[in-house]
Amino acid sequence: MTAEGQRRRAFWQILLFSVGLLVLTAISAGSVYLVNKAREDNKWVVHTIEAENQINALLLEVRRAESSARGFLLTQGSDFQSDHEKAVASIIPALDKLTRQIGDNPAQRESIEKLSAAIELRLDQFSREMNFVKQGQPGNATALVREAAAGNTTTTISNLTNAMIREEERLFRIRTANSDRSQTFAASLTGIGSGLVVLLAVISVWLVRRSALARDEAEARLRDANVNLEATVDERTADLREANDEIQRFAYIVSHDLRSPLVNIMGFTSELEELGGDIFRRIGGLTHEAAGAPPLAAGEIALEGPDQQLSVDFAEALGFIKSSIAKMDRLISAILNLTREGRREFQPEKIDTRAFVETIVSTLAHQAAEAQAEIHIEPLPDIVSDRLALEQIFSNLIDNGIKYLKNGVPGAIRIRGRTKLGYAIFEISDNGRGIDPRDHQRIFDLFRRAGTQDKPGQGIGLAHVRALVRRLGGTMSVSSELNTGSTFTITLPINWNASNRNADK
Amino acid sequence: MTLPVSIIMIEDDEGHARLIERNIRRSGVNNEIISFKNGTAAMKHLFGADGSGLVQKGNALLILLDLNLPDMTGIDILKQIKENKYLKASPVVVLTTTDDSQEIKRCYELGCNVYITKPVNYENFANAIRQLGLFFSVIQVPPAAS
Repeated sequence: MTAEGQRRRAFWQILLFSVGLLVLTAISAGSVYLVNKAREDNKWVVHTIEAENQINALLLEVRRAESSARGFLLTQGSDFQSDHEKAVASIIPALDKLTRQIGDNPAQRESIEKLSAAIELRLDQFSREMNFVKQGQPGNATALVREAAAGNTTTTISNLTNAMIREEERLFRIRTANSDRSQTFAASLTGIGSGLVVLLAVISVWLVRRSALARDEAEARLRDANVNLEATVDERTADLREANDEIQRFAYIVSHDLRSPLVNIMGFTSELEELGGDIFRRIGGLTHEAAGAPPLAAGEIALEGPDQQLSVDFAEALGFIKSSIAKMDRLISAILNLTREGRREFQPEKIDTRAFVETIVSTLAHQAAEAQAEIHIEPLPDIVSDRLALEQIFSNLIDNGIKYLKNGVPGAIRIRGRTKLGYAIFEISDNGRGIDPRDHQRIFDLFRRAGTQDKPGQGIGLAHVRALVRRLGGTMSVSSELNTGSTFTITLPINWNASNRNADK
Repeated sequence: MTLPVSIIMIEDDEGHARLIERNIRRSGVNNEIISFKNGTAAMKHLFGADGSGLVQKGNALLILLDLNLPDMTGIDILKQIKENKYLKASPVVVLTTTDDSQEIKRCYELGCNVYITKPVNYENFANAIRQLGLFFSVIQVPPAAS
């Protein structure tokens, strides 16, 4: 999966999320608005119905007043009078209420003004009628009723209220339609919004699925890569091991085959030496006899002047050859020993390091006493390793510490240990002559030495120690300044890791 | 010794052969020394043209063997000598530069009688050969037959 693709997917996910949020917000806002609107519309519908009701109530009161007035006129019963008075009393408040209720509608306001006028007129007629009746002039009252009927006051009222009711009904229809529309609209908005949300959810699920799929694929690829990597590492390790074995074999064979001609060179040089001795003895004998001197004792060589010089030169030349051969033999032996060590199979065992180092130190006690050196052993971590290899490592390093002390300064050699991340770290430090930082790499090379060459040695020890430490799976380093002492640090695995050690046998 | 013992020397390095011969002579051994520079010639001499070893029947032999030969390893020769019914009784002295302990063990397992490493130091070398010569002068060698 490329970085570009990942960015794109992240972008899409964020976009999707934002769109979803936006849609939800819009739906919520829209719903709130529409619900409010529907409530408003409903209120208007209710209002219309109430107004209509009120109109009917008013009309009813007017009719009641009229019928009771007639009843009173016919019977002059006080029951009708009180009924009429009650009806008349409720007409004006009903009219006022109606006026308040429909005050928002100009058309209705006009109608209600007319209605008020008509009702006032009618009320006036009522009061006059009632007065005539009370004064005992029913004829006047009847005339008035007739007049009222002729004037159509009641009809006018009735017509006006009917018109108003019609108006209210018209409003009712409009408002009902409005309310319906609002509700339909709210419902469809919610529907569409829900649909959108569902759609977004589906897209989200699809994206997540795709991303999960991509992740699984990437994981599989990673696993494959890991397996491949391990295989590659194994392969390389095997190659390296093979190369190492090859070098070991090569070193072994070369050093071996070099030895064979060396036997000849040494042998015939010795033969030559003996021959030389014979020749010079004969020359000496001949010159001696020629000089008339008494015969020499057996094996004695008596040479003079140039003959003597020849013999000395001859011996010198042979001496150089022999010492060189001896040196070459030592070098070849050293290589042979190193390769032999490189081929030795390790025997890992649990080692009580402190006791083990104490044993080594006790075998070096004599040298230490001679060099006036004290050896301090601090607590050391135990490890699992090859005893013989460790013995060679420690004894070489401690021996070096004793060997290369400063003249006239009592030596102090310290062996410390600690553990870190599965490795044991040992430090062997001294207060000796130290090693020039330029020579820090050199001292680990075969046949190389550093500093004043006043001690016998082949330059093999440290090379050998480092080779051993490496084969044990560890590392080795030195830190030192000239004249201030040296510290050799060895890092070895605490537990034996068999897989990469004995395999290179 | 009723029969003169022949010393068979199988050594590819002429210098070594010469040095060995000289030092054996110096120790006073005057037996016949037959030397071979490669394994093939030596095998032909020891086992004959038919490879049965019959040609050596009745001869008393002492074999000096180098392990590093150009055409075959001394180990193979040793093995065949010790497996041959006519030759197996003949003493074999392995004299070689190899001082690998595995190799030495192998040779003794295969029936070598003496294993000597050639020292580079000539004093030691000459000494070793002379002592070997003294050893030759006293040991009893059976004839190669039964």
